Amino acid sequence: MGLRWYHFALWIAFIGVMFALPEYVSKGTLRTLIFANFLAVFAISWDVLSGRTGYISFGHPFLIGIGAYTSAILTKRFDFPLEASIPIAVLVTMVGGLVVLLPALRIRGSYFALVTLAYMELMYQLVQVIRPDLTGGTRGMSGLPTLTRGAENGFYMSTCLMLAVALSTWLLMRTRLGTALSAIGMNEDAVSGSGLSVTRLKMVAFLFSAMLAGLGGAMYVHYLGSIAPRALFDINFVFTIIVAALIGGAGTTIGPIIGAFFLTFLLEYLRPWLPGAERYLIYGGVALVLYMIQPKGIFELVRQSLSKLRRAT
Amino acid sequence: MLQVLIQGLLLSGLYALIAVGFTLIFSIGRVLNLAYGAYLLIGGYAYFYFTQAIGLPKFAAVLLAAVIGCALGILKFLLIVRPLRGNHVAIEISTLILAVVLQSAVVLAFGDSSKILLPIIPGVERVAGAAVPYSNLFAAVMSWVILIALWIFIRSTHTGRAMQAVSMDAKGAAISGIDADRVNMITWAISGTLGAVAGVFFASYTQLYPGMWVAPLIIAVAVVIVGGIGSIIGTLIVAHIIGFMEVLVSTYLAPELRGIFTMVLIIAILVLRPRGLFGREEL
Repeated sequence: MGLRWYHFALWIAFIGVMFALPEYVSKGTLRTLIFANFLAVFAISWDVLSGRTGYISFGHPFLIGIGAYTSAILTKRFDFPLEASIPIAVLVTMVGGLVVLLPALRIRGSYFALVTLAYMELMYQLVQVIRPDLTGGTRGMSGLPTLTRGAENGFYMSTCLMLAVALSTWLLMRTRLGTALSAIGMNEDAVSGSGLSVTRLKMVAFLFSAMLAGLGGAMYVHYLGSIAPRALFDINFVFTIIVAALIGGAGTTIGPIIGAFFLTFLLEYLRPWLPGAERYLIYGGVALVLYMIQPKGIFELVRQSLSKLRRAT
Repeated sequence: MLQVLIQGLLLSGLYALIAVGFTLIFSIGRVLNLAYGAYLLIGGYAYFYFTQAIGLPKFAAVLLAAVIGCALGILKFLLIVRPLRGNHVAIEISTLILAVVLQSAVVLAFGDSSKILLPIIPGVERVAGAAVPYSNLFAAVMSWVILIALWIFIRSTHTGRAMQAVSMDAKGAAISGIDADRVNMITWAISGTLGAVAGVFFASYTQLYPGMWVAPLIIAVAVVIVGGIGSIIGTLIVAHIIGFMEVLVSTYLAPELRGIFTMVLIIAILVLRPRGLFGREEL
């Protein structure tokens, strides 16, 4: 697997810094960090599906939404306990992952991106029309049971989730499976020519991504305590996830985390000057410029400057 | 019955106009322009600004909106599409980012709330119990005029034929001495112009608000997927299929369901018949 001691040293340092943070930063910053953690989970999940295999999905909220809605409906309408509803939500989302896999077996590239966009729009319209007594219709649901109380507990919960997701993804992607998935992103025909089952590989990637999305979505909805279709199945939400993964560095595990933290804090620091949706002007501008300079993201920029430094000394 | 027919024709004309600019880029440049909806957004707001804030005559405002759309298309080609040439994923993602940037620019300039456009031509005609506003009629007629003009342009001018050539085989076109870069730039300019004009009509059909770029993008995507790419006639036919389907569903079933059938159609076509109803060469 090519593990080195400094990999573990870096992970332990990262975990240590994350858990030391509540001692040093304010409650407001902690709340921002919670959102960054959830965004990182969604971005990692998107990256497993799209960043590695090259099947760009513009409808990732479809999966997140399945997880969030399943758990919300089970707890709110059927009085399931959280310990049961979240695992069920994850399983249901994995079935949703198979639904996303279906078109990926036949179409590639731009058409796959379009069909995932259609999935998201369909889901958005369906939750409003079909059984509004269950889904809460256009207004969504509120008063859902929450997992934690207070900023600090929320921070620990979301950090544990993010770290667990990041570590397991990182380990999985260092196996031969991860290598094969990246190879699909480079040249799918070559992978199938080497005698590997492309269908099975894609299925693993999609199921794993759906599992992370469902887990993230269900935990997120029980952190917020409310759910609304327009906030979830929104092209701006897709945009935030994709940009986080790409700006950090698609095809890596740490990249989406860097991207999520960078962008969440950028958005937060803009708040004093631009309170409303116009913050996205600067946010998107920064993202666009960074992306045009280095499509592989901040991770690649850092790596290149490090190797330059090493050569200079 | 007559009512459905009239509503369907009006809506389909508008849809055809919305979709055709998107189809042009997709068939000639082979890229998805996810910022296509932003042309409609900018066009609609430009028209609003010129008529209702400055007070220019309506015709001049439509022309100015078209000029802005055209400039936007050219700028987008020069600044984003050309530097990223060949990398389709990168183009798609940067146009998505650009769309969100333009949306927030509109929020910054005009605020978050929705605006109502004064109709281009005031007045309503009652036909068989259906209210037909003159603006919608005008929009439908204009879309037909624009589409026919575009069809003649592509069929019979030198530049139009060059566009066809590039869309069929970029290498062959280059060997025959066609400057693909120039053709692409012209296509992006035309697409931007069409988008901005469609935006004026679409905004007067619904209303003007910063998030209005998503719906036309989805319509354009639906038309491209169901129809296959590269033909204006195909775009026209599919726009009518989708337009009539939406009107039929909202008249006979329920208005909330109209979008659902469009999405189901997209997904079903892509999964069952990935080449589209009228075929496309490559996937």
